Amino acid sequence: MTGGTGPALQAGRAVRAEWTKLRTLPSTAWLLLALAAVTVAVGAAVTGAVDTSHCVTPAGCREDTPKLALSGVRLGQVAAVVLGVVAVGGEYATGTISVTLAAVPRRWAVLAAKAAVVAGAVAVAGTAGVLGSLAAGRGILSGNGFTAANGYPPLSPLDGPTARAAAGTVLYLVLVALLALGAGTALRDQAGAVTAVLGALWLVPLVAGMVGDDAWRDRLDKYAPMSAGLAVQATRELDRLPIGPWAGLGVLAAYAAAALLAGAAVLAARDA
Amino acid sequence: MEATIEVRGLRKRFGSTVAVDDLSFTVGPGRVTGFVGPNGAGKSTTMRMIMGLDRPDAGAALVGGRPYRSLRTPLCRLGAMLDASAVHPARRARDHLRWLAHANGLPARRVDEVIEQAGLGSAARRRAGGFSLGMRQRLGIAAALLGDPPVLMFDEPVNGLDPEGIAWIRGLLRSLAAEGRAVLVSSHLMSELEGGADHLLVIGRGRLIADTRVEDLLAAASDGRVELRTERRREAMTVLARAGATVTTSGSDALIVTGPTAERVIELLTGEGVAFSGISAHRASLEEAYMELTKDALEFQAVAGGEAR
Ligand SMILES: Nc1ncnc2c1ncn2[C@@H]1O[C@H](COP(=O)(O)OP(=O)(O)OP(=O)(O)O)[C@@H](O)[C@H]1O
Ligand SMILES: [Mg+2]
Repeated sequence: MTGGTGPALQAGRAVRAEWTKLRTLPSTAWLLLALAAVTVAVGAAVTGAVDTSHCVTPAGCREDTPKLALSGVRLGQVAAVVLGVVAVGGEYATGTISVTLAAVPRRWAVLAAKAAVVAGAVAVAGTAGVLGSLAAGRGILSGNGFTAANGYPPLSPLDGPTARAAAGTVLYLVLVALLALGAGTALRDQAGAVTAVLGALWLVPLVAGMVGDDAWRDRLDKYAPMSAGLAVQATRELDRLPIGPWAGLGVLAAYAAAALLAGAAVLAARDA
Repeated sequence: MEATIEVRGLRKRFGSTVAVDDLSFTVGPGRVTGFVGPNGAGKSTTMRMIMGLDRPDAGAALVGGRPYRSLRTPLCRLGAMLDASAVHPARRARDHLRWLAHANGLPARRVDEVIEQAGLGSAARRRAGGFSLGMRQRLGIAAALLGDPPVLMFDEPVNGLDPEGIAWIRGLLRSLAAEGRAVLVSSHLMSELEGGADHLLVIGRGRLIADTRVEDLLAAASDGRVELRTERRREAMTVLARAGATVTTSGSDALIVTGPTAERVIELLTGEGVAFSGISAHRASLEEAYMELTKDALEFQAVAGGEAR
């Protein structure tokens, strides 16, 4: 046979099919909109609730303003989790997984294609949410006393540490969605997978907050997916973080990779 | 590429249930092969294994000489409808076909062609969740035809359809076979395949009971029987029974006579002055032939079941 059947072409077709699948479900657009909107709205609300009045001097607040403005992802990520789970769980719920695997019998190729399109869609919506959050934060912060004169330069996505926090936050959302995709593939049940992922993200910080022992709290902050991953948002006093910004994101990436591998193993081993 | 499905020693167990037990058969081109067996006989499981969806415990299935999972553009080799409800209810029918086309690099033109061929028409722009069973069935068939494959496989395609829908599917299967394609179609009711299949694979409890041409099966089951109509049924029965024939009633005014030839039956009845009409060699229905065929298998099962208890 001539040319047309190379692995790259195959992979490209699988990605194209998954992309068509993703964008032809109305829920996708709503989830991506929710991802961006919730991130911006919650970020603005949290930022608006903080001002310099409670500090001795405004500079003494030592507020990490980019991190504050980006805090909406803690809630916005729920949409990324749901999108990741639904991308595969919806196929098991409706029985289309058999049709998918009939069209693309190499199962890892199906999962890889789903990962690519979910990552792409979340990256776009996440970028919108992050830039929107920074823009909203910029306006709100200066009104609350966080001015350049007080040592808080206006938020800008072009400023080094802020740029890293912003890009890192987008990557954080992408990794959370991939974690959810892996969990959905391994568990095959949408409600179960959403619960498991949100539990892993939110329960550990909750437990950490209740743990009295400092060493243990440190360990939990270092190795729990959400607290480690969100270390990438910090722009001040990095030496006092339990884990470095990129190392923290690396921890989350390891969880996402493990979930995808588990999903791939289940997909390959079990009957469709 | 050959238009065949070859199944060799296929076996599948779910827990303690043996769903498919050492099954071997070949589905050939240019004919409709019926795949018949009662509920739970293993038809769907066999089809899923042919498509690489379920992994066999033993044996192998080849589509056009190759394992399904090694195919690069499987939709162009085998088109299948296993479950008509397997569409996302929130997706438009046309989009369902579009992603399938993209998966195998098929041109958009094919999507429009199969929408036309399956008679989906303007419904193709609607979301599949609002479809009737008949429309879902048509969408599933459109998906199977998308890659213009030489081999087609349908699992209970007429299940739950109205007579019009059944006639449409039957005609479609016939025309696909006439184009030289191999068509495998399952049913748990032999009557659904009457007039629709050329060849039959009969399975029970995962095992092959028969692999036969429909014609041969009917000829064997019809052997030497004579059918006639008469308004004086009781008298006719007495006369024929006296001559040593076995007589059974059929319908309101028909008799089926086993033993004497048609000539001898005419002779006997005219001799006694019993009026009759429409005498003919009896042609067994597929259902009757099926009952005959599976009688032994079912008896065996009843005995085996009794012993197990
Ligand atoms: N995923 C599964 N898990 C457990 N048992 C299964 C599974 N799939 C099929 N079975 C069992 O295997 C046997 C064969 O089932 P299968 O669906 O292949 O039969 P069938 O001939 O298609 O029946 P029907 O006419 O009802 O569609 C049945 O006893 C069924 O209960
Ligand atoms: Mg079945």
